Amino acid sequence: MRVALYVTCLVDLMRPSVGFAALRLLEAAGCEVLVPEGQTCCGQPAWSAGERALAAELAKKAIGELEGYDTVVIPSGSCADQIRNIYPQLLADDAAWSARARALAERAYELTAFLADVLQVSAVPAAFDGSVTYHDSCKGLRSLGIKRQPRALLAKVPGLTLKEMSECEECCGFGGAFSVKFGDVSTKIVDRKCESIAAAGADAVVGGDLGCLMNIEGRLRRRGDETTRVLHIAEVLAGGGT
Amino acid sequence: MHFQARAGEKVRNPVLQRALQKAKPLFVGKRAKGIAALADDALDFETLRTTCEGIRNRTLADLDVWLDIFEERATASGAEVLWARDGEEVGRLVVDIARRHGVSKAAKSKSMLSEEAHLNEALAAAGIRPVETDLGEYIVQLAGETPSHIIAPAVHKTIEEVEALFAKEHGRPIETRTSADIPDMTREARQVLRQHFLTAEMGITGANFLIAETGTAALVTNEGNGRMVTTLPKVHVVVTGIEKVIPTLEDFATLMRLLPRSATGQSISNYVSLLTGTQREGEHDGPQKTVFILVDNGRANLLGSAYQDMLRCIRCGACMNHCPVYFSLGGHAYGWVYPGPMGSVLTPLYTGIENALDLPHATTGCNQCGSVCPVRIPLPRLMHQLRTDQVERGLRPLSERLAFKAWAWLAGRPALYRWLTRRAARYLSWLAGEDGRIHIFGLAPGWTAGRDLPVAGNRTFHELYKARKRA
Repeated sequence: MRVALYVTCLVDLMRPSVGFAALRLLEAAGCEVLVPEGQTCCGQPAWSAGERALAAELAKKAIGELEGYDTVVIPSGSCADQIRNIYPQLLADDAAWSARARALAERAYELTAFLADVLQVSAVPAAFDGSVTYHDSCKGLRSLGIKRQPRALLAKVPGLTLKEMSECEECCGFGGAFSVKFGDVSTKIVDRKCESIAAAGADAVVGGDLGCLMNIEGRLRRRGDETTRVLHIAEVLAGGGT
Repeated sequence: MHFQARAGEKVRNPVLQRALQKAKPLFVGKRAKGIAALADDALDFETLRTTCEGIRNRTLADLDVWLDIFEERATASGAEVLWARDGEEVGRLVVDIARRHGVSKAAKSKSMLSEEAHLNEALAAAGIRPVETDLGEYIVQLAGETPSHIIAPAVHKTIEEVEALFAKEHGRPIETRTSADIPDMTREARQVLRQHFLTAEMGITGANFLIAETGTAALVTNEGNGRMVTTLPKVHVVVTGIEKVIPTLEDFATLMRLLPRSATGQSISNYVSLLTGTQREGEHDGPQKTVFILVDNGRANLLGSAYQDMLRCIRCGACMNHCPVYFSLGGHAYGWVYPGPMGSVLTPLYTGIENALDLPHATTGCNQCGSVCPVRIPLPRLMHQLRTDQVERGLRPLSERLAFKAWAWLAGRPALYRWLTRRAARYLSWLAGEDGRIHIFGLAPGWTAGRDLPVAGNRTFHELYKARKRA
């Protein structure tokens, strides 16, 4: 299967290893992976800020780049939500684009959903010696229904034990621009997440969205936790996390 | 003071934080249990939600008709129905009724609309003493504050603060209190309040619902004060919003499946009162005069707008009880009557979008509110619509708009974008230094005030991918 990898702007700039891990994972599952050139940002920040026209511009750009592929895979619940759920809504009244937006939406998948639901992979390339706790990111969980998939995939990693934290579905307080605009509120929220993580006592906290992970890692370190590792699920499944 | 400044203050208030941290798991846990227990009655949450959403939508589609029917039936049962365009008019009407009936004291049961109308101030200015009789409202009134939660008005108060207020008001020395003393403290308040119930000439309540087919006000309460207020005083005034009307008693029964469960997790509240008309011949209690004041105060403007869904709200409080922002700040940070996600939507809609610019942005977009709302109000979508309206009405700061424009322009030019992100990666990596973390970041000080910014390397993905393909 030919798959286009949409790496997301945050992974591109802040943590390229997540992109490469996703690439390895998809290849290990037998996909031919292409990274469409020209991809930049899905436009979610503009959409969230209410900049509808700018968001529509970037949506059209992304649709143009991605619609030529059978399948698009995104290692982020919130960017996947943008393409799957927001693009069709954003361009619903645009005669030239609404059908194209809907067509792409149907073929765009969040990484763990694609691996678990579409490919139904039976094994992953990784081994992990230790315990992890999983943070459910809000958009993935509540907009895309991603809950079971990452856990099913983690269960296939030899040596890995999952130690669920309490309130794993609670928001970490990231929220994109919110984390900068309302930094002290965001910090207050992520503090509670850090407490849940500490109480779970796992070697690593794992999630599917880099924004949340940077927020969690940033706060854990500031609180003085230098040992709990913070990993994207792609890194754990692909073996980059050991 | 703006939301942002208030928020900073609340985050750093240890007493408030202690109170909030105690309350949150209780709210969330009780609702979860209550919703799970629907299965015992062979009921399904999602199916019920759809039904409740439908009841509210059908009512709103013909709101004028249902209000007409309500007015006709309520009048036929002996009540009077008055209409108020805004809060000020509510104050005038209530004061007028009070004067006509020689009222010097009004006992109140919880009503958020009376907060919208600043009714207590209007009464006090007219020489009429308003006494809040809901325990939480009583505490808040003693403190000279406003409710910080729509169903738990004093949730921001610790037991020590309540003890200090009670000691002062009830004329006794302060004692050391623990949660084991709550029943004693409640008894003490009850003794004081009982005198007010017996001496007030007017009772003021809100209404959870107005039932059109019978002209009835439905009151859902837990403390019993609602019964006292509606049966002892000779005059009963119901102040509520025009959107509270529902067609039938059957609809009420259905909505009651979800209202108490969503609010407190109870399958039914301790008291459910259906109040119709006035005291009839041969009856021993009930008011001789019942007046409904049905208030618009901005509601009618939402009909047919992009925000109509908000009018479905049945005021359970589940949205704030599941909101990470609310529980970091408490309700007072929101600056007006309604806190939490519902407040972030209602405050700009009822007080002017330009007067609450921060509120629709004060959200992580987590949708924990939307997923618990018993009438499926898409709260995150409504907050997003408000942010879009701010942009379209030119209410965002120019610097922010230009930044987004510049960024979108750049993101539309991949070659330039690659060049710039390559440089950005190197810059961030240089800032991060040896431990791979930026501790103070001038471009996003809001981030690094409380967190480090982890930086994984000095190359972008696309740069590395290109190099790898070449190799």
